[in-house]
Amino acid sequence: MKSGGIEVEGTVVECLRNATFTVELANGHKVLAHISGKIRKNYIKILLQDRVLVELSPYDLARGRILFRYRT
Amino acid sequence: MGEQPVVITRVAQRHWHALEDDRVVGRGEASRRSDGRIFLSIDAWRDAVFDQLADAVLADLPAPLYTVVDEADLDLMSGWQRAGFTTRRREWEYLVPTDPRVTGLGSVPPPPGVTMMPAGAARPGPLRQVYDTIRAEVETSVGWQAMPGELQVRPEATAVLDPLRYAVAAESDRYVGLVRVAARRGQARIGLVAVLADRRRRGIARGLLAHALDSLHRRGIETATAEVDEGNGPATALFEGVGARRASSNLELVWR
Repeated sequence: MKSGGIEVEGTVVECLRNATFTVELANGHKVLAHISGKIRKNYIKILLQDRVLVELSPYDLARGRILFRYRT
Repeated sequence: MGEQPVVITRVAQRHWHALEDDRVVGRGEASRRSDGRIFLSIDAWRDAVFDQLADAVLADLPAPLYTVVDEADLDLMSGWQRAGFTTRRREWEYLVPTDPRVTGLGSVPPPPGVTMMPAGAARPGPLRQVYDTIRAEVETSVGWQAMPGELQVRPEATAVLDPLRYAVAAESDRYVGLVRVAARRGQARIGLVAVLADRRRRGIARGLLAHALDSLHRRGIETATAEVDEGNGPATALFEGVGARRASSNLELVWR
């Protein structure tokens, strides 16, 4: 089994202009996250305070990609 | 971290991985929409990996291929452009005010002979009938490829329509138009405003929009969003006529 990046849950605390979001993780750290292509293709909207699953970049742990939006 | 060579592997019919030291550092995916077109997505942390994945995916699949990008996402845009994709169409996301003092819709009565039925009041059978008729009319006229992507990927062809999400315009013997609104976290999205072809140009769509926005305003929601294809003049005029402003845009790109 090949491994991907680290996946962590967080909350969207800021929606930025250039299709990116600030996501606060459970440990209080904040990451700058883009949405994944799958979310974009399916027109899933990410809103402030949404709970999301983020894959952290293996090259920069301050960057991530939103893989999933939890239903709340 | 230095840039290391990656290996691209097709792990399933429509999935590709970019591997670096046995670790997945990029993914490509293809999916077929209900209209038969194939849409791609590629996620990679580095441009070089994106380019390698794009090369592999394009080599494996027949043209034309499509993708969707937020126009403000310049990195992603440039990646697809490097791969040879060009813009096919644009859809605007509008921010639509709900306050009747701003929209000017406060005193708009329904057209003569038309009653606006609030969300939850429509009967499922006639709702399904007008919905299916409108979809059929789209398919035989402009086609779904010219409609906002959200409608294309959620055809609801066999799904049960939830009357709670639809307000309808009714004449004495049938429903003639509908508006779909979804609200979440105090934010609302107008997913569809549509009127039967033989009942257009009578102010029914404007009446439906007035009804929907007024309902949202009463719930304390000040702004809704709506996506409109740039080439859809009547829809653009409808939304801009009530004070909606463009907030962002999505591009549909194609590789031929």
